[in-house]
Amino acid sequence: MHLKLFVLSASSVVLWLAPLVVLDKRLDIHKALQGVSLTAAIACAVSAGNIARELFEQGEIEAIKKRAITADVVDEISTSAYISQQQRQQEAELILTSPGLDVEESRKALEAIYSNDLQDSTSPDEHPDYPIYLEVCKSREAGKSTTWIVENILKMGGRKFSEGKVKLQTLLNQFEEEGK
Amino acid sequence: MRAMYLANYFVAGCIAFSLLGWVASLHPITFRAVLCLLATIAIAWGLSWLLDFSLSKLLKISVADLQALLIGGLAMLLIGLGVFLCT
Repeated sequence: MHLKLFVLSASSVVLWLAPLVVLDKRLDIHKALQGVSLTAAIACAVSAGNIARELFEQGEIEAIKKRAITADVVDEISTSAYISQQQRQQEAELILTSPGLDVEESRKALEAIYSNDLQDSTSPDEHPDYPIYLEVCKSREAGKSTTWIVENILKMGGRKFSEGKVKLQTLLNQFEEEGK
Repeated sequence: MRAMYLANYFVAGCIAFSLLGWVASLHPITFRAVLCLLATIAIAWGLSWLLDFSLSKLLKISVADLQALLIGGLAMLLIGLGVFLCT
């Protein structure tokens, strides 16, 4: 395409100038040759101009494509950089905020585990009040009254009677619930 | 490549004016006809300079481009006819 362009350009200039300068004016066909040559020169110049314009437009399209691809690549890189930066920021925020949460959560978890352990480990048989509860049960089976139980088993007679009554009720509630 | 195609169109314009000179040299009647044509071109050229803003809107090109075209046309005419007359 380029070769055709250059040949047409050169031939147009040659066809324009050669008949005007070189041709012998005494020839009969001098004028006719000049006319044909000038017409051919115009045709060559216009053809060359069209080819050059086509090549120029193709080059522009290629340049636009290249710019678009470059812009796409730059956009993709900047997007990925932005995303990774956000991810890093989120990770950093998580790292910064997580120690407090972990401590709190682990504290609660430990508390729960500890209290469960306590409840599990102190089974009714090993509880210090359990023998008293057994005695209370025996006395009740034997038909003893609450007053007798408070005074004789819990040893809380007189002024401490009301406290003893409350303690008896607590004892009964505690072991009867655990028994269920 | 832009310069190449502009140069080719410029050369084509120059050759066209040389061809016009050649047509004028063929016969006195054609000479007068070409003179009339050149006079018309000159009037149109002058009017284009006067109405450059309106013309640029009409042709949808910038004023600078229109002025460049007008100057280029004048250069083509001078070169084309100059080459034909000097040889």
